[in-house]
Amino acid sequence: MEQFELLTNWAQANVESFMLYLLAAIAIPCAFSVLFDRAIIRSGFFLIGVFGAISGLFLILQAQFLALAQIMIYAVGITLVVVIALMLTNARLEKEFSSIEPTERIGGLLVAALFFLTIYLALRSESWPVSSLQMRADNVLQIGVALLTNYALPFEFASVLLLAALMGAILLAKSDPKETENVTGSLVE
Amino acid sequence: MIKENENVKAMNSSAVPVSIAFAVVVVGMVGVYVCGHLVVWLQNLGLNSFASYPELFVFIAIILLAMLAAAMPGSHRISIISIAAFAGFVALTYNQEILIKYLSLAALLFSIGMYGMVASRNAVRVLMSIELMLNAVNLNLVAFARYVDPVHVRGQVFAIFILTVAAAEAAVGLAIVLAIYRNTATVDMEKFNLLKW
Repeated sequence: MEQFELLTNWAQANVESFMLYLLAAIAIPCAFSVLFDRAIIRSGFFLIGVFGAISGLFLILQAQFLALAQIMIYAVGITLVVVIALMLTNARLEKEFSSIEPTERIGGLLVAALFFLTIYLALRSESWPVSSLQMRADNVLQIGVALLTNYALPFEFASVLLLAALMGAILLAKSDPKETENVTGSLVE
Repeated sequence: MIKENENVKAMNSSAVPVSIAFAVVVVGMVGVYVCGHLVVWLQNLGLNSFASYPELFVFIAIILLAMLAAAMPGSHRISIISIAAFAGFVALTYNQEILIKYLSLAALLFSIGMYGMVASRNAVRVLMSIELMLNAVNLNLVAFARYVDPVHVRGQVFAIFILTVAAAEAAVGLAIVLAIYRNTATVDMEKFNLLKW
């Protein structure tokens, strides 16, 4: 019981750490399930779990606009597109290659683990210039002003990129065997 | 002989994975306490450079134990690996600054995505891993915006740009996967050797 009281006292003193570990406990198993789950459609839904946990992290980092944009764009939009693509590609293939066996592909595993350890050691040996200020309350207003003044040019480029990507995606995914037949036919004539 | 095998299989299916996962958690928590004594012992031996990273010993011990547990036949590998990764993450960051906790979590998610991108055979799963990596980078940027530069919102603005590029990348990548599937009737990464010379 004393241990429990100690734990609750610690959690009250470090709410942010506690919430971080709670959300990490959701995000990390979901991320592993995305890689290793046998049914790939289910790993598509585990992706929603990862994105939801990360949007919770954005909330405790006082980035409300990004948290909601994360839910709208990633957890709904991108995951929906991924699941639709899964349904359009063949479901029978799941039996041929089910998932990664964690014990195979030792090379990729080693590279990823070494990468993580290197980044971690680099992070903790650096003394970060942590500021004690809070984010301002009008966070959304600040983002909007920044996007339309200092970052107006990248903003416009981003809109052009989105337009080009959408047109490219439609052109790539559109299936029109008739048209190609016509082209070859006219060539023959 | 056959009966014995069946018994082993039945035991593997239920009791062994749960007990192994439990053992990994318990040993990880005990190791956090033990590492304090280990540090003193290493300092007495004169190995100060090793003693300055006590969490690494716990992390390596947890990873080795999890590899042992996952190598056993019939063990539930996903839960063992996830529990070990979470325990290792806690062991590495429990007495660090809060910013380092966020950055380590982002690094961990990034390496998970990197491994998935290298090792997956389904092309759609590769795209999912890339989304995971982009999201981990976003977490880095937002953590920097909160703790290093809270007055301006530079980190959040760049996170918005990454969000845009990720949406474009998902759309184009999945369209490419669909086009390849229409041409080759497979999404297996091992069979995409059309450009082999």
